[in-house]
Amino acid sequence: MTLRSRFEKTACAHIDAVYRAAFALCGARETAGDLVQTTFLKAFENFGSFKTDTNCKAWLMRILRNTWIDRLRRQKTAGPHLPLDEDGLEHKPVAIETVWSNPQDLLENFSDEQVIKALASLADDQRLTLFLVDVEGFSQEDVAKITGVAVGTVKSRTSRARAALREHLSSWAEEMGWTGGRQ
Amino acid sequence: MSHLTEEQFERIMQDGETQEAHLESCQLCRSRLAEKRALAARLKSAFANVSAAPDLADRIRDSLPADKSPARARLVSRIFDIRAHRRSWVIVAGAVAAMIIIAPLVIDMLTPSPAMAAQKALVQIHRNNLAQHNGFFAEAQPEKLAEYFREKLGFNPRLPTPEQGLALRGCCVRHFQGGVVGSYVVDTPQGVMSIVIVTDRPETLGISTEFAHGKHVFWKSSFASNNMVSARIGEYSYCAVGEISHRYLSELLSRLLIEEETD
Repeated sequence: MTLRSRFEKTACAHIDAVYRAAFALCGARETAGDLVQTTFLKAFENFGSFKTDTNCKAWLMRILRNTWIDRLRRQKTAGPHLPLDEDGLEHKPVAIETVWSNPQDLLENFSDEQVIKALASLADDQRLTLFLVDVEGFSQEDVAKITGVAVGTVKSRTSRARAALREHLSSWAEEMGWTGGRQ
Repeated sequence: MSHLTEEQFERIMQDGETQEAHLESCQLCRSRLAEKRALAARLKSAFANVSAAPDLADRIRDSLPADKSPARARLVSRIFDIRAHRRSWVIVAGAVAAMIIIAPLVIDMLTPSPAMAAQKALVQIHRNNLAQHNGFFAEAQPEKLAEYFREKLGFNPRLPTPEQGLALRGCCVRHFQGGVVGSYVVDTPQGVMSIVIVTDRPETLGISTEFAHGKHVFWKSSFASNNMVSARIGEYSYCAVGEISHRYLSELLSRLLIEEETD
């Protein structure tokens, strides 16, 4: 089997997953398609160094993240969106004393587009971390390798991302008058 | 009563366990856990309908360079065969193998793929043409464009004729891979395309998927939402670039090729 056919068999099976992640990162379908195409070209160039007994999807996600960061840096828009130092970020205090009484019912009020938009409002690495954990079901260890941080950082990022996402949705729910969910 | 920490919640979310004794006695923590789980489930369902465009997989496959390193793969495989059969050479062969394997990989990683760079450059030329940047010669008369190319580059490229129903928008000379190339823009019923005329063969530009259209052979690829189809006319590759189907791009190039046959 040629290198190319092995690549197509092993890596191309993950195009949809990589596309979803790209869409979560950049929020635009066309840009996501370009990002995925560049990611797969880079992956093919480096496929010789890929270990076949490792997680190909995680390997592709790492290349995607690096490609995205490179692109941001080239566009010189990386500054405010690149939370390289998570501790440097400001976090609004989360009102943990209030919880949604019927979270599933409340969340069903939001369209898919609104939920994705709320996710898009998070900082890049929080957004990618929460996406990888909740949507793609990666373990915290895998996400740590993909994003190049410690497992503890993944946990804190996930937690902060969840809290931030919840707050975004809560504020929208209040604007829409769906406040009955709080208890 | 002290409630569960965020780290404990994340562990529960990760492992799926609900055996925390505290949860049995704390309504607030149970509610918070239910909320986190509902949020995670909603986020997952929001992406359930997000999938790549049907042609993205084709675009990716088309843009992959032709198998570039079977020789290297064979070499690696041979080296490991030697190691398996001649144990006494393990250390020396290993060191040599590492040198042979790692050096090309490092060089490869540090060097952008020429094919990818070429396709990016072709798309960039097309985008500059659309924006009519940098000395774009806006002119619809084929004779004027031919004169421009003769003056700037000293050659007469194939140009669509008015009876072909394709309107010329203009032309220009662009930098491409260290040299200069000619390019012209055509309005078609399906959109705008650029024809970039280069001396490189299509396969070396990563436009590597060969196909036949009518009696002619073409090569195609896609990059950054643009399709590319290339045909050889004489010593040149005519690369049609645009957000237009491969089929239609090849149709236009067919017309240029037909003109060649009737010369």
